[in-house]
Amino acid sequence: MNSPQLDSNSRAELLAAPSFELFALWRVVYRLVLAVPLLAAPALFAASNCLPPDEMKASLLNSPTADEYSDLGFWFASHQQYDCAADAYATSLQTDPAQKHADRIVFMFGSSLYLSGDIQEAIPALQEAERRGLTDNRVHLLLASALDSTHDTAAAEAEWRIALAFDPEITAGLDALSTDLVNGANFAPVIDLLDNRRVEPQRTPTQCVNLASAYARTGKTDHAIDVLRNGLNTAPDSSIIAVQLAGLLMQNRRNDEAAAVLELALQYNLDDPRLHEASGTVLARMNRLPEARQHLERAIALGDTDPAAQENLDRVLHALGAAPAAPSAPRP
Amino acid sequence: MLSRIPLVFPTRKRAVFSLVFVFAAVAAVATIGLNRRAQTTRIASQSLMTAVFAAQQPSSKLWPVSIDYPEEGSIFPPGITPPTVLWRDAAGTSWNIDIFFADKTPPIRIVTGGERIKIPPIDPQAVSDSNKPPTLTAQQAATWTWTPDDATWATIQAHSVAAPARLVISGTRDGHNVLSQAQVAFTTSSDPVGAPIFYRDVPLMPTQGVNGVVAPLAPDQIHLIHWCLRDIRKPASKVLLKDMPTCANCHSFSTDGKTFGMDIDARSNDKGLYAIVPVQKHMTIEDKDMVHWNTDGVISTTRVGFMSQVSPDGRYVISTFAGGSHDLRDSYYITNFLDHRFLQAFYPTRGILGWYSRATGRRFPLPGADDPRYVQTDAFWSHDGKWIVFSRAEARDPYEPGKPAALHSTDPNETQIQYDIYRIPFNDGKGGKAERVVGASQNGMSNSFPKVSPDGKWIVFVEAKNAQLMRPDSQLYIVPFKGGVARRLRANTRLMNSWHSFSPNGRWLVFSSKARSPYTQMYLTHIDANGNDSPPILIENTTASNRAVNIPEFVNIDPDGIEEIKVHFADKQAIADARK
Repeated sequence: MNSPQLDSNSRAELLAAPSFELFALWRVVYRLVLAVPLLAAPALFAASNCLPPDEMKASLLNSPTADEYSDLGFWFASHQQYDCAADAYATSLQTDPAQKHADRIVFMFGSSLYLSGDIQEAIPALQEAERRGLTDNRVHLLLASALDSTHDTAAAEAEWRIALAFDPEITAGLDALSTDLVNGANFAPVIDLLDNRRVEPQRTPTQCVNLASAYARTGKTDHAIDVLRNGLNTAPDSSIIAVQLAGLLMQNRRNDEAAAVLELALQYNLDDPRLHEASGTVLARMNRLPEARQHLERAIALGDTDPAAQENLDRVLHALGAAPAAPSAPRP
Repeated sequence: MLSRIPLVFPTRKRAVFSLVFVFAAVAAVATIGLNRRAQTTRIASQSLMTAVFAAQQPSSKLWPVSIDYPEEGSIFPPGITPPTVLWRDAAGTSWNIDIFFADKTPPIRIVTGGERIKIPPIDPQAVSDSNKPPTLTAQQAATWTWTPDDATWATIQAHSVAAPARLVISGTRDGHNVLSQAQVAFTTSSDPVGAPIFYRDVPLMPTQGVNGVVAPLAPDQIHLIHWCLRDIRKPASKVLLKDMPTCANCHSFSTDGKTFGMDIDARSNDKGLYAIVPVQKHMTIEDKDMVHWNTDGVISTTRVGFMSQVSPDGRYVISTFAGGSHDLRDSYYITNFLDHRFLQAFYPTRGILGWYSRATGRRFPLPGADDPRYVQTDAFWSHDGKWIVFSRAEARDPYEPGKPAALHSTDPNETQIQYDIYRIPFNDGKGGKAERVVGASQNGMSNSFPKVSPDGKWIVFVEAKNAQLMRPDSQLYIVPFKGGVARRLRANTRLMNSWHSFSPNGRWLVFSSKARSPYTQMYLTHIDANGNDSPPILIENTTASNRAVNIPEFVNIDPDGIEEIKVHFADKQAIADARK
């Protein structure tokens, strides 16, 4: 499953938000090694990628205040120069560690690191913001996401739960936590989390698939199918729901229904190799071999690299008398 | 045997997760789906009976349409304006909507291309940095709608009284072959609602002052609160009262519909004013109508306008008073949040019931419900005036020393309190022994806001994990007046169910919910003689889509029984002057 990326609007909005906490001094110093030369030496403006806007240069060259560095961080962030923003926020904190909204600046610092891709550095910064009691749910959201990125699932789960306690309807929290739980085979908590009338109207395809997986893995196949059907009515173009639903139906020997689901899904995503592969597989099961062949060939042509697609195609071709070699054993 | 398709479980791709939700880049989606504007056609139906008969038994082979409204088993009040049918369907691109009747009436078929949900107009005055414009959930964005015209709806209502009508939605892509289908059955009640609904219509604009203190509404925006009257047979509500410079809160009408009472804040945040006025077509609240709880010195110095109730005959008012030497600050837990969806936690932790006699102008504690060891609140009269039902819990300090402030509604750091429902005889003000209502108490939940049905048989109350008022998890329950097994109402929606009120004939209950939007809306449910209720029926178009309606109350008057409420009292001018 693909994890959606932060879009540019979200990044800018995040860093424009006034919220954060002071960060450990060693880290500030660490950042300053980079930040001070860039910001204090005019000769380096031109040599650096972190070029402040002209209207800010004058103040930055003349004993800038912490606020001015923070403003610069905001400017960089709003221009999606997150590395530069992190440097500027770090410098702001070093300039005045006791500034009024130091907590928020620490958060901005951590967020900038996060958004620049420096997840490892972002985590302790965000944890520091959290430790200082900053009451902004974005701390937990970013930290959870960062922890997930480093495979610290237990810590990430705790942060997601804190974020969801703030706001039980947060889509990313529900998506990520349920994914973590499913990956950890913790199915009952997934059902607790997502089989919830409050969040049901905004259930995403990820949540549908996770909830259905939890139901299916706990023997409640009909529940799983209902969730996926309902999910497809909300997101008709979701191939991942369609493939999951078709798979469940096939497992229950409801091949004709599975084929119909995939036929429907292909009307929304005609060039999705996953749908073609699944269609080929179910049609082959139904002994509709020429159609199965078409779909499997199409899947491969569209870039399906799953070995099962080729193997299934080989089997179909063999059954049609079009393949000289015996197919390999079915893949699980 | 070909390889089977493995179940698709999520794989772990550790990229950053989208935080789009956090920032809610809520682009206006009000016009979503305009490209698919429907052409609704009503077809002469007799000749179609055979053709559509198959549709009466949806095939399991067809893709299941999700019909979100009305729900199976819904009961509509007679005369209510046409509802908007909501459904989602991955398969169809146009739909046949067939309505079958149990009598000999030919079925009705509507062919529609469907229209998307449109968010109704907003009130620009109710927009602030602390709230968000109404948006559609994922389900709502995928929803198709159809609203019958008045004539079609009248026909449907007329032929769905004796037995349910069945609404079958069949999706097609070519107009002929049915690909998808679902159905719901609903009826029209023979019980009229029979009375208009008075309610408060508020903007959700929490505000943070320069001192960091959050308030539910800025003082200069209080005038945006409206009080409205709705006849469910009419497509819109009537604003009766607006432009008040001060907060007015809980209201109540006497059972006979002749007397109106409302809590009003006086100067300097004094919560001690109460207006009692006769109900007339053109009402005016004047100084002579005001009761000043705080100056009579009978019980305590400070009273908060909280759940006051005019007696059925209009002779008395019962309310919650800070007992003994307690005042507002040590009797109520109050925390406001900048989250417009649930912007306040507000409930009493101390208080006694007291009653006011309009004849004598005096106020007395109600013996049996005046024990300072408890908080006693939410008083409500039985319709014969003989009983008071109320909520009770052990009294406590509203704030626990050293406990962090709650950051959101239902935060565990809120002061925890679980009320039980009690009843006590009024006994001409002499009170008596308070008795716990079995089924509405000691159940591990907080039980509050009891309302007695007009026939005296039932109590409908709210359950939540903690406290009362505006709780996201609040659910309505019904229990026999004398106690018994409580039953969760079928009408409960997914999010917040509260502020309920019985119609004068006892057959309808109105309540508020955030089921469809953070901007609270009103719903109806039918209650039969055995206390069984039906799925929720939305009262549509009660306010702008970015305003909330709450505290709905049936008023036992003609639908046009009140045209306006004017306010002319000295404090009003003083408050207005102060605000300037």
